[in-house]
Amino acid sequence: MPLMLASALVLLAGAVLALALRHDTQRGWASIASQAVASALVLAEVAPILFGGGERRLAVPWSYPVESIALHLDPLGAFFLAWSVPMTLLGTVYAYGYLRPQFGDRNAGVQFALLNAISLSFLMVYTLESAFAFLLGWEIAAVAAWLLVVWEYRNQKIRFAGFNYLVSTHIGLFFLLAAFMIIHSQTGSMDFQSFERFLRQPSQLRSITFVLLVTAFGLKSAFFPLHTWLPRAHAAAPAHVSALMSGVIHKAGLFGLLRVTLLIGTPEPWMGWYLVAFSSLSALTGVLYAGAQRDLKRLLGYSSTENVGIAGIGFGVGVLGLAWNQPALVALGFTGGILHVLNHALFKCLLFYAAGAVYRATHTVDLERLGGLLRRMPWTGASFLLGGLAISALPPFNGFVSEFVIYAGLFDPAAPAGIERALLVATAALLAFVGGGSALAMTRAFGLAFLGVPRDAGVHCDGEVGPSMRIPMIVHGAGVVLLGLLPAAGLALVDQPVRLFLAKTAGPATGAAAGAARLLAPVAWAGLAILLVLGALLLLRRLLAKGAPAPRHVTWGCGYGAVSPRMQYTGASFSAQLAEIAYAVLPQLRRERLPRGPFPEGRGQLETTCVDAVERRMFEVLGEGDDTVSSAARRLPVEPRFSLAAGLVVLLAMVGLLLASAGAVR
Amino acid sequence: MTALLAFAHVAALLLLPIPMIGIVNRTRALWAGRKGARILQSGSDLLRLLGKRPVYSEVTTGIFRLGPLVALATTLVSGMVVPLLGGFAPVSFAGDFVLFAYAWGLGRMATTLAALDTGSSFEGMGASREATFGALVEPVLFLALGTLAGATGRGSFAELLALGPHGLARTGIVAGCAVALFVVMQVEAGRVPVDDPATHLELTMIHEVMILDHAGPELAALQYAGAMKLTLGAALVAALVDPLRGGGDPWLAAAVRLGLLAAVAVAVGTVESLVARLKLKAVPQYVFVAGASAFVALLLTAWWQGGGR
Repeated sequence: MPLMLASALVLLAGAVLALALRHDTQRGWASIASQAVASALVLAEVAPILFGGGERRLAVPWSYPVESIALHLDPLGAFFLAWSVPMTLLGTVYAYGYLRPQFGDRNAGVQFALLNAISLSFLMVYTLESAFAFLLGWEIAAVAAWLLVVWEYRNQKIRFAGFNYLVSTHIGLFFLLAAFMIIHSQTGSMDFQSFERFLRQPSQLRSITFVLLVTAFGLKSAFFPLHTWLPRAHAAAPAHVSALMSGVIHKAGLFGLLRVTLLIGTPEPWMGWYLVAFSSLSALTGVLYAGAQRDLKRLLGYSSTENVGIAGIGFGVGVLGLAWNQPALVALGFTGGILHVLNHALFKCLLFYAAGAVYRATHTVDLERLGGLLRRMPWTGASFLLGGLAISALPPFNGFVSEFVIYAGLFDPAAPAGIERALLVATAALLAFVGGGSALAMTRAFGLAFLGVPRDAGVHCDGEVGPSMRIPMIVHGAGVVLLGLLPAAGLALVDQPVRLFLAKTAGPATGAAAGAARLLAPVAWAGLAILLVLGALLLLRRLLAKGAPAPRHVTWGCGYGAVSPRMQYTGASFSAQLAEIAYAVLPQLRRERLPRGPFPEGRGQLETTCVDAVERRMFEVLGEGDDTVSSAARRLPVEPRFSLAAGLVVLLAMVGLLLASAGAVR
Repeated sequence: MTALLAFAHVAALLLLPIPMIGIVNRTRALWAGRKGARILQSGSDLLRLLGKRPVYSEVTTGIFRLGPLVALATTLVSGMVVPLLGGFAPVSFAGDFVLFAYAWGLGRMATTLAALDTGSSFEGMGASREATFGALVEPVLFLALGTLAGATGRGSFAELLALGPHGLARTGIVAGCAVALFVVMQVEAGRVPVDDPATHLELTMIHEVMILDHAGPELAALQYAGAMKLTLGAALVAALVDPLRGGGDPWLAAAVRLGLLAAVAVAVGTVESLVARLKLKAVPQYVFVAGASAFVALLLTAWWQGGGR
């Protein structure tokens, strides 16, 4: 614990220096150096706990009304700290390169100080056990993230996106406060440890608290349908902020979910199903929207909603395992879910860094205007491709490992035979669709931006970005490959946190934990096998070529000679078929003036935009809900079909109420 | 013995794709009243392609050349977990079917990216369709295999395909899954009624339009991988409907399985001769039908296990 306190002080000092020094270069270095020291201190503190288990506690006496601040470092917090703080350091290194063109014009020290504050908030959120202090850390993260987002505050759109984020995150805070207040009213304490007393016994109030907490943490992690702030904020923020928000900061919500699960005693099955359903919906809608976005960073934002959904499915399986007392399910669900959290942080930051590099080089992230960047920016292109393959859960990269474990949990025969198992299999099928959809979204994004030829002559590419932006990409890319080829490394990281959950079941913990390791051993070999076979084929190909250079020619245009770059397949057309199938979720706004008649005059135009149906509907209901209801009421006596439907609904509600009350009486 | 079987498996994996395509084409020819090409004709075609020197588009990068090889490599590796001859697969572990599906996914992404690398709008169109149908067909595959996993309580391909059509409920489950897997095979291998491997230059194609710019060894790799996917898909269907369930004497089981593979190839050819290629808009519905079939099997499993025994 002393190392942790020291690292907090170092971070604070770094933040002060970042604000006080004269030049942006020095400010940046102050922030990077302080975070590097803090990371080393944190790693030294958490490594023994992460790999060896156990826990550390520290109580700091404090003045009224907090009385004492309890610090508690267990393997779960250690796991989150072990990558959150170093990744923030990498983000700061990236920020140094990303903000460099603006050094001197703007005070970049604010950004660096805020990045230090983000790191500090991790130290607080992942270790504090007093609700007051925890909420303070939570707020620091939220407000710092908001200030980081509105870096380009002169742009009204960006101010709006920031405001949108600020409001949403505080709605989440209200839910969290409500839950804490309920617990406080029951236990008279604001300490997480004493929360357990209340959360252990099943009661109606516990169920309500659980739902409130899941909502609050879900909002933080941008679960559907609470995700609408996310694509806006991610598109508006500087790339390092989007990366850190999506990959690292919002994982605090998932941490909260896990913490609640640890405190809650034996959960009821509905809690697991609630998580699975909530997460499946997130994954599904996230991937559908990701497939149709035009803005590269918006696309990545939606893909975050998808990935927290995937991790949430894993958690749901684990909670179901706890409810059914099946150690195998607990081990697989939580191993997969927690590992996916880390994996997502690795590849999502990688993707955002690559997107930021594209923005720095071309000043746009509009997929319809980019193209052919791979030859101009090979490092960035390779990073994006790597991240895209990993996020689509394709072997031999790390995303596949965690999803494989989640699949194993969904297919595990430990689930009760019958409808429960069928539901889990159906969830697996949905996860498969999400994987395929994610592959579509990433193929589309990479193919449009990096392959082919530039679509817009007005977009100029400055070439590859500097080393301080490349290094974070390389480190993240190495992590993606390493955890993919060596699943045992990932398992070693999550082993102790998962044991916390296994300790809640009656079965032997060791056997179940070893199950995941046994399961993953062949996966490592398979990944290696794919690489080896590919290498052999490449060798064979080289032998066949006999060293002769292949002739080059233009792309075959099916006999048409006057091909222009504008004729390449566009992003909108790439996702048109998907949008058509999922039209209910993916409404496309069309603005068109099509040429008419045999001799059309003037220029025709067609513009389609993919809008967020949830956001639109929400505003519709908020703004015009009363009109909708009154117009429905007017139609009721006039249209027989309408009144029949309304009658049926009333009948169903009455029967349901009767049944419910009968159940309550019995 | 195991080593011998593994050797036979690898040999079958490498060689079977050629006669499989041959049988499908011969069946089509017979239905059309033609004599048809030799059964091993596609082997000669592949050899001819291997000797050619390809021409690359000026626009392309290394991804264009890597794509076909990745597709072939992933298909080869995925072939190691499928029971091709009898109930035996050289590599078998819990959840190997997940690896199988995602290895195909990697191959698919590699070919679609190679298509996009040319900057051609035709190939972009094919890539878009391939990616969309890929996303649609994956859940069907998982629904079918997950149903079997639920019904058998086992986790590896070789075990869960050996459910066997015994009893009313199990026959229903096997039938539902077999239909689903048959459609998955048609989509993945690019056969009629989803796609037509015979015509290269029509705007309605999926796989064929993606490989317009590929030539020589790259084209050979893609065609070989496609044929191998057909073989593996057919092997899944054959294993599912195998009355022996891959048990008993391994060589007898292998012989039975070879016969069933040929039968599936004939079925594929027959479907291709009797059914016209679907309109593109109807393809998702066709896949949904397969999904519904697998879903019925899943519900049947739930009913069967949940007390309807």
